[in-house]
Amino acid sequence: MSAGGGGGGAHEAIPQNNIIAFGVIGGLVGIYAAYFLVDMVGPYMSFLGALGAICGIIWGAAAVRRVANYGLGTGVPSIGMLALGIGVIATTFGLAVGGIAGPVVALVFASLIGLVVGVLANKVLNMGIPIMVQSMIEIAGAGAITIVGLSTSMMGTFVFFDEIANGMIISQGVASGVMTTGYIAVIFIAGGLAILHPFNANLGPDEKQDRTLMLALEKGAIAMIIAGIVASINEGASGSLTILIGLALWYIGFSGFYDRVKRDAYDVVGTGMLPSKEELE
Amino acid sequence: MEPLTSMGVLALMGAAATIAGASEDLESDVGSQSNPNSQVQLAPQMMYPHRIYNKAVSGEPPSNALMCAIGGTTASVLMTTGASPILALIIGSIVAAAVHGTYSVTSYFGRSASQKRFKQPIYLDLIRSHTPVIMGYAFITTFCILVVSYLMVAVMAHPFSLPLLAFIWGIAVGAIGSSTGDVHYGAEREFQNVEFGSGLNAANSGNIVRKAESGLRNGIDNSWFCAKFGGPATGIAFGMVVFLSGWITVVFDPSISEVMGWESIIAGVAMVLLMVMWNRKIEVDARNAFGPYKSDEEEVAA
Repeated sequence: MSAGGGGGGAHEAIPQNNIIAFGVIGGLVGIYAAYFLVDMVGPYMSFLGALGAICGIIWGAAAVRRVANYGLGTGVPSIGMLALGIGVIATTFGLAVGGIAGPVVALVFASLIGLVVGVLANKVLNMGIPIMVQSMIEIAGAGAITIVGLSTSMMGTFVFFDEIANGMIISQGVASGVMTTGYIAVIFIAGGLAILHPFNANLGPDEKQDRTLMLALEKGAIAMIIAGIVASINEGASGSLTILIGLALWYIGFSGFYDRVKRDAYDVVGTGMLPSKEELE
Repeated sequence: MEPLTSMGVLALMGAAATIAGASEDLESDVGSQSNPNSQVQLAPQMMYPHRIYNKAVSGEPPSNALMCAIGGTTASVLMTTGASPILALIIGSIVAAAVHGTYSVTSYFGRSASQKRFKQPIYLDLIRSHTPVIMGYAFITTFCILVVSYLMVAVMAHPFSLPLLAFIWGIAVGAIGSSTGDVHYGAEREFQNVEFGSGLNAANSGNIVRKAESGLRNGIDNSWFCAKFGGPATGIAFGMVVFLSGWITVVFDPSISEVMGWESIIAGVAMVLLMVMWNRKIEVDARNAFGPYKSDEEEVAA
């Protein structure tokens, strides 16, 4: 009798492998498209980075759902925070050493840390969850994509260090624009909650994959709006388009989620008494 | 800085933190967040469907960190563009409260919908009546935390930035609200129908009080109860944390000399030891006054 699911594997309408592909490819394409198109077309293309982050968030939420279905219960928030913790380390390392390959290095490095954490959880802590290792790799990777994506849409670039010519800063990097200013805190928590909240908010025996993932879209859109607010003060990125697209995605996500709630719930009533004894039997 | 000025700033921070602590606890009580949530979540499974708001936004520390970090980020962005600090802090808090509202609504919808087989209905009037209350408390909490963080940055010249400080204080207020405030909601309100101090028998699991003085009990009834003691107690606890942890470095300022820095550490340790002894004395006195909990046999005999 666990409140967190049947204690076995989760039922999946969309196979996890498709979601992994969606997260990795969608995430990297979004991030690189933002990086190149900001240079070629203009700062307002920075919103693509946040779209990449949303792909990562949906992937992360699906991975949390899968592993947490083994009855993690109150461990759901912890695993989301863990994902972003790994993500921050991997992003800092990957972007600092990777140059143009930074996001890929961050993703690979995050997966490596996830592998170690997953093996530790199963072998040393004896959690004995069959998909633990794979899920930890996925969650860590999704966390890295979320952080790189949101940082890119805030700054318009994922280059880590400031570009300096003749003693003048000609373009700000992620290190001074996101880390030093403290905006990394909001990326950490808004991205982390976007990954952990969808399953946490739908916890229960009648949880459905599409409802959970729709909620991930809605929460990802909120993170996108916040990234847009920060982007509005950076020259390399544009906030208004990011915020507008974020609001549109939020509306799609929320109405899609509400439709699925009405589909799945026992009853949606304006007000009323509790179900009677006869009804409960 | 003048010691008198910094004392005044510290007093203001302590006052803001006290309000933040109280409103944080009441905000979590309206939606039954955090520890008491497990029984609200369990109740329908044990055939006790209810009309209590099930706001499961992770634990209180992450959800408050989210509110405060969003508020701090928005305020910091606005101040960069030249807006006045008060306006920036207020707009930041409004954005944070709105985001928290969406998190609350989606968790009530999602958790209730996932309990279909236990026949837990979704009551839309609960959303309409409780969500504004939750958002109101979230606004007060975020604003007070932002005031504390802003004073630290602007007046006390703290090296951290506003979003980062707001994030850290958000975690702190959530942690204190969870550890101090939840006690006065969980045991004393959800299980008013069992003898006080009897602990939670496994047979009573999920059998929370679902009926109120008139009508069915909801989250606002619970916050009314918690506002009498749990909320203020949380406020005093958090206010003391902010005030006392700042007080030691204001009185013994480490920026004046290294010796002063060590004195501030000694003062901090002395304060912790004093608190430990004081708490121990309260506990011993309470046990002497009210005696050990009655065992089952004595209860039957009585």
